[in-house]
Amino acid sequence: MKKYLIASLAALLFSSCGKDEKPIDMEYPEIVVTADSFPLQCSVLQRGTTLQFKALFRDNAELGGFSLDIHHNFDHHTHSTEVNSCVEDPVKSPVKPMLLIQTFPIPDGLTEYEGTAEIEIPADIDPGDYHFMIRLTDDEGWQTLQGLSIKIQ
Amino acid sequence: MLPLLLVFVGSLYLSGAEASSVPFQAGLFFLDEKESHGHAAIRRDTLAMDTLGRVQDLELFTVEGRAEQLRREESSAIELIRQDFIRENRGGSLMKSLERVPGVNLIGIGSGASKPLIRGLGFNQVMVVENGIKHEGQQWGADHGLEVDQYAADQIVIVKGPASFKYGSDAIAGVIDIREKLAPAEEGLGGGVEIGARSNNAWFGGSANVFARKGKWFGEARLTAADYGDFRVPADSVFVYDFGVALSDNQVRNTAGRELDFSGRVGFLGENFRNILLFSQVYTRSGFFANAHGLEPRQVDAKLHDCSSRDVLLPYQEVRHTKLINRASYAVGRNFVQLDLGYQRNDRQEWSQYVNHGYMPAIYPSELPYPSTLERAFDKEVFSLNIKDELFLERHDLSFGASGEYQRNTIGGWGFLIPAFQQYSFGVYGMDKFRIHPLWQLTAALRYDHSQIEVEAYQDWFPSVEDASQATSEDYLFRAEEFRRDFNSLVWSVGANYSPGNLSLKANLGTSFRMPIAKELAANGVNYHYFRYEKGDPTLEPERSLQLDFGADLKKENWLVSFSPFVNFFSNYIYLNPTSELDILYGAGNQVFNYTQAEVLRYGAELSVVRQLSKQLSLELLGEYVYSEQMSGGKKGFTLPFSPSPSGILNATYKPKGVGIFENPYFAVDFRVTAKQSNIVPPEKVTPGYQLVHLRAGSAISVFRQTIQADLQVQNLLNTRYLNHTSFYRLINLPEAGRNVALSLSYQF
Repeated sequence: MKKYLIASLAALLFSSCGKDEKPIDMEYPEIVVTADSFPLQCSVLQRGTTLQFKALFRDNAELGGFSLDIHHNFDHHTHSTEVNSCVEDPVKSPVKPMLLIQTFPIPDGLTEYEGTAEIEIPADIDPGDYHFMIRLTDDEGWQTLQGLSIKIQ
Repeated sequence: MLPLLLVFVGSLYLSGAEASSVPFQAGLFFLDEKESHGHAAIRRDTLAMDTLGRVQDLELFTVEGRAEQLRREESSAIELIRQDFIRENRGGSLMKSLERVPGVNLIGIGSGASKPLIRGLGFNQVMVVENGIKHEGQQWGADHGLEVDQYAADQIVIVKGPASFKYGSDAIAGVIDIREKLAPAEEGLGGGVEIGARSNNAWFGGSANVFARKGKWFGEARLTAADYGDFRVPADSVFVYDFGVALSDNQVRNTAGRELDFSGRVGFLGENFRNILLFSQVYTRSGFFANAHGLEPRQVDAKLHDCSSRDVLLPYQEVRHTKLINRASYAVGRNFVQLDLGYQRNDRQEWSQYVNHGYMPAIYPSELPYPSTLERAFDKEVFSLNIKDELFLERHDLSFGASGEYQRNTIGGWGFLIPAFQQYSFGVYGMDKFRIHPLWQLTAALRYDHSQIEVEAYQDWFPSVEDASQATSEDYLFRAEEFRRDFNSLVWSVGANYSPGNLSLKANLGTSFRMPIAKELAANGVNYHYFRYEKGDPTLEPERSLQLDFGADLKKENWLVSFSPFVNFFSNYIYLNPTSELDILYGAGNQVFNYTQAEVLRYGAELSVVRQLSKQLSLELLGEYVYSEQMSGGKKGFTLPFSPSPSGILNATYKPKGVGIFENPYFAVDFRVTAKQSNIVPPEKVTPGYQLVHLRAGSAISVFRQTIQADLQVQNLLNTRYLNHTSFYRLINLPEAGRNVALSLSYQF
């Protein structure tokens, strides 16, 4: 009898908890590489041109935002999350390296979004190896990073 | 209160129902009641005087059966760990040695550093006390270890639950109270040497002490040293994000380290007055996994790192912790008065190559006051004072106390996480243990605390603009504004113990609190170890917790069973909440993590069952389970970070009769089962379950009329590849250490 009572109390408790609970989001957003994605690992860009960034973002529940970051990799530190490494120039000291940090919102309520951005690559920056980092968040705060090694000539 | 009780009943029921299926339970821990002759002698000494005898019992925990007595007298969940246990389970750090205790976990980094988690809470929510004074490290970092010499620790009291009423702020989740050895009982000189070796990381180390007693005076000195190489994992490569890292010879590149500690004490033991002056210094230098500083993948000069597995190259951390403590006590009549004074300094540096993250300039400016390899430095100085008076009446043990602390924190290095700050705090408390009936005891306590924190401003040394030549003075961001906060807190606790015969039952209901720390109030920088922008909130209120603890111990014939469930509610748990935002100016494009407060419900239990099958053979089952859920705020429905997986240990211990030169030999096997942890919160990952086998054996060996204690351990016997959910390196999928054979020899003279 006592055990039955405890069981029903427990059942009451857990069922009452269960009703108003929506399932929590446990999935990271994805940066999906498609035929249109640019840049890709080891892409080569030209100074004085405009980079047309394009990537497909996907999430099971709702996307948050994304940011782009270009910084030099003349010292060959790595942020690359891509496994194949590119042919790198020799290590050198930066003089006027390019630096870009930009954040972009994603409209509310989307589970799929094509991120695009136009990025001007100044003509007077140091050519060489650069990192291109994409940070993508979803609404719940899961973050996915993608780091690409690119070359600017 | 009703929902709390319901949850408690529910959890009890559930854990009871599933006890046989999963090692899901929780536990209590069986203590070895052996006592050395020296300790027993002291007790005889001191029992002569009524008050002092009691005081000795209380202060030094030396009496036969003391662990059990302690559990019966304290209404909170409490464990007493002895030196024997630490020796037999010795790991690379103190917390690693205590990992077997149910309800105790650790956040480990590398093989030589770790910090405690009690029932899933850690950092500033667990207080570490050494020789009566609160240990103040830089507690907020997951990569910081606990700066304690594990060889100097003689007895450790672990309070698994809120203990603010006795210890003050930070004891909201529990206390690890480390006590030194007793003063030598006999006249003359003595000492000991313990040396050891560990195969996994080629660890060599040991500790030696000498002591002397002459009349009422005694002195002791100890030196501990350890040197170890990179630890090995059962994997030849790991993936930091998707970045593949080949490991040379299974070694985790650059995780070698060294430790050098020394301590000394001088004491006067009068009939009524006692005074002990202690000095200690713990120095550690240990490398971080070179391919991932924090969670950032790094290209490294693998050749340079791999030519020696014992060198510590960049990145590494270096900590020197110095303490000076004076403990004075005076026993007169029914009073026992104690005054502890402490000074400590935690001087910490994190060394790493300069990497221009975010808007930092590409080339490190030579005019900065720090070398380009000093990423961060923290220097903390703390002055503490505790005073208490205990009054032993016929049916009441009353105690009153006050404590005060002042600390000064400065920072350095090119990286910024938390600003410099000063803080002071004081508290007063009163406590009564009332023996209402031979079988019943009631405990009640009340405490008031006040604290003030003064945070200094911090301005970036670089402008946050893409083109530094266009920078104006506004582009040099203020990462922290100067501000001051005052906090007040009143906490209470009531408990009862009922001990009829073989059974001992207890319950405790109490509140506890924790003042927000500087990081939670004032952080405003990018933590490049995690690629996140951490933003403090200067309006945070002190964290408050209400906890209900139960405990049941049964000692009958060949059974020893302990069960300690708890349920705990935080009305405003301080939580670093990952958001969907990315910040461009202060956050350099990184994800924003805000410190916020949320309601949190936690419950769980520990279970321990020991069955003595015969004089020689015993079986033991230990288990722990904790569940946490955020009940409000942005992460409603999620758990808390670093939630330990349910786990259990099945142990068999065989203690045959001594043969020849072998005395008191033992053989033990632990089968550890840890369940999958799928209760996670961003940015954690689901951690699969695992099973491990550990072996332990040892004996006292008598040769030439001298006794040497030898202990052998084989940890992770099957070289299992597994991930620990609470490890610092979990997020980059770095497996835990592989098979490790550890031998230690100890000799007392």
